[in-house]
Amino acid sequence: MSGGQRLPRIGVIGNPNSGKSTVFNHLTGLRQKTGNFPGVTVDIKEGSLRLPGGAEVTLIDFPGTYSLYPTSSDEKLVSTVLSNQQSEFFPDALVYIADVNHLEKHLLLLTQLLDLQLPLVLALNMADTAEELGIKVNVSRLSEKLGIPVVFVSGRTGDNMNRLVLEIEKLIPAIGNISRKAFFEMDATEKQVAEAVRLNLGENNPYRALQLAHHFEWLPFLNDSDRATLATIVQTKNFVSLRAQVEETLARYDLFTPIVEDAIQQPQQFPDTPTDRIDAVLTHRIGGPFVFIAVMLVIFQAIFDWSAYPMDWIDSSFAELNSWLQQTLPAHWTTELLTDGILAGLAGILVFVPQIALLFLLITILEEVGYMARVVFLFDRIMRRFGMNGRSVVALIGGSACAVPAIMSSRTIGNWKERLITVLVTPFISCSARIPVYLVLIGMAVPRVRIGGIIGAQTLVFGAMYALGVAAALFAGWTLKRYLKTREPSFLAIELPVYRMPDWKNVGLTVWEKVSAFIIGAGKIILIVSVALWALSRFGPGDAIERAATKAQQEAAAAGLGEAETEDLTAQKKLEASWAGQMGKAFEPVIRPLGYDWKIGIGLLTSFAAREVFTGTLAILYNMGSSEADINDRSENEAKATLREKMQRETFSDTGQPVYTFATALSLLVFYALAMQCMSTLAVVRRETGSWKWALWQFISMTGLAWLAAWLVQIIFA
Amino acid sequence: MQRRFRSIPDLKIHETARALSFSDAALACKLTSMGFLPGARVEMVRQSPFGNAFYVKVDGVRMALRREEAASILLEI
Repeated sequence: MSGGQRLPRIGVIGNPNSGKSTVFNHLTGLRQKTGNFPGVTVDIKEGSLRLPGGAEVTLIDFPGTYSLYPTSSDEKLVSTVLSNQQSEFFPDALVYIADVNHLEKHLLLLTQLLDLQLPLVLALNMADTAEELGIKVNVSRLSEKLGIPVVFVSGRTGDNMNRLVLEIEKLIPAIGNISRKAFFEMDATEKQVAEAVRLNLGENNPYRALQLAHHFEWLPFLNDSDRATLATIVQTKNFVSLRAQVEETLARYDLFTPIVEDAIQQPQQFPDTPTDRIDAVLTHRIGGPFVFIAVMLVIFQAIFDWSAYPMDWIDSSFAELNSWLQQTLPAHWTTELLTDGILAGLAGILVFVPQIALLFLLITILEEVGYMARVVFLFDRIMRRFGMNGRSVVALIGGSACAVPAIMSSRTIGNWKERLITVLVTPFISCSARIPVYLVLIGMAVPRVRIGGIIGAQTLVFGAMYALGVAAALFAGWTLKRYLKTREPSFLAIELPVYRMPDWKNVGLTVWEKVSAFIIGAGKIILIVSVALWALSRFGPGDAIERAATKAQQEAAAAGLGEAETEDLTAQKKLEASWAGQMGKAFEPVIRPLGYDWKIGIGLLTSFAAREVFTGTLAILYNMGSSEADINDRSENEAKATLREKMQRETFSDTGQPVYTFATALSLLVFYALAMQCMSTLAVVRRETGSWKWALWQFISMTGLAWLAAWLVQIIFA
Repeated sequence: MQRRFRSIPDLKIHETARALSFSDAALACKLTSMGFLPGARVEMVRQSPFGNAFYVKVDGVRMALRREEAASILLEI
């Protein structure tokens, strides 16, 4: 960043399940930003905090980590930032969050950070539950032994947050001049390695120098010559990284366990807690999977049913606003730009908000209460068959809302191959952007009947689309498993946290963050595509549109058509002559085998920016027929003619056959379920895999598979 | 049947034993950083639905381990 002095950066760091994000959210509230979508390359959440003295600091939320010896890409990120002082996220000082109920396990990372010689404050979180469990902490004793300030806080109730802020303020003057005695005493080999790294690479902090020697093989900021130097040091000093890691870890436990035991009083036996009783059901060998299916059905019901009410409301509000504007404003192309371009695009974005918000709400609650870790445990075996990890289930479930954050959640998977497969197959899961396309097409192809008087045929097909997505994801995983090779170890080893009520502020902030990222990130693309599409269908090369209109009127007159029919024919011919019409026509041969015409072609082309554009595109394309007519002459019914009815009337211009047959609608459904049509997802795949190679590969294979499957459906059902 | 070593998969449901050592270095690194140390008291709680993973309690902390992972943790007899 150019200009202005850099604000002090305070890293918020701690183990997974330490309640770190709750504290971070408490401190920063809505003053946060994350890079979830294309254009923003930030990986770590940042927020701002104004200190009592008036100064402002930037808080950086690091992913939950157990140790500087990482086993997942999340943890690697933390090691990467902390071993590189040049990193734009390198913190000037740290707030360490530890769950006071498990202090004897949560201080390993703290002692490692002490040796990095950064100003540090320890926040003992979950003070509220500690009190209930009868845990007592001698804070001043702990502070004295560790040599750092210690504060008791509760992220949930917000207790003592002011104290924490005051302690953060006191860290600022200490930035850059901390020199503690090393907590962990290195052995002779480690000292030699650290010294050699200092001499060759100029890293003066011995522990950070040691980190470079441990991680040189994968640390992304090292150049080739540094890497070669480090390799030589490690080899000549006979430094065995893995063994040194375990020995250092055990030595650190030996050092801090007495400190914890001295400062903490806790009851000898923990009683049979509610968590054990809940888990007896939720992780039961037979009951567990059934509960999971029930939970998924509730989520399915929520996105299909509950969100319909706010969506209908948004939809009809926009329709009313649109017709009001058309009546009030003068008939000019700028009015059309506003109503058919910008407003149509905005409606296309906002109509998703209820669905996305509801999905993220439910998924966030499942994560907050601790259920997701159980799902990982339940399904690890199945997912491994398909080349993935139990942790992949979390990404796949998230994919039913939006693939972009879901793909980012795969960072908890340590094994490169399992993570890559998860990233590549997650977009097969039907995301909320596909729902409106499904709704329109299912409404057209499937009759509104109830099978056996209970379940609607439409609901059933809707469910089948989701099943198709899951089956495609698993099939792709099973195939990829055969071709990808890795020597990295694969771990399940996961902590199953104590169940707790969700922290609603945390839930609210997470949902807000993801929904606003969607509106801003994906929304931009949808809006641009929408306006571009309007322009392409409104204008044509030279005077082609005018000539087409004259020709259509002559044809209509010759055939003796009525006024309304003449207008429809004219509009149709004008659209065909427009830029969009030309593009669609050029594209038609590719999709004709699937039973699609050039209008669907335009819909498909624009969908490659984002799927949700499809319904908007068709709305724009089919509305062109009537928007040219004087709005006041249109009868009430015609004005209300839904997109679906218009689509059903469509015929191929050469053969006169109806376009939307049962087979075509079904084939389009399958195409949309399987094709990769989302620029945001491709951008995030590129970022998470580090190259365009996998994004391109994913795009080609998913779309190719979609074409093949859609073609098969057309052949079978036609 | 007499054996030299026992590991976690040998535990019966609700049986508790003390962990002695880890036979896999990479996993030892991961488990020790999670607070699973030699000397920890391990209780077998249940098996996963598809039988490939275990729900265990390590010094009161709940944890899920794969069969291979569990088998690399040697127990006191």
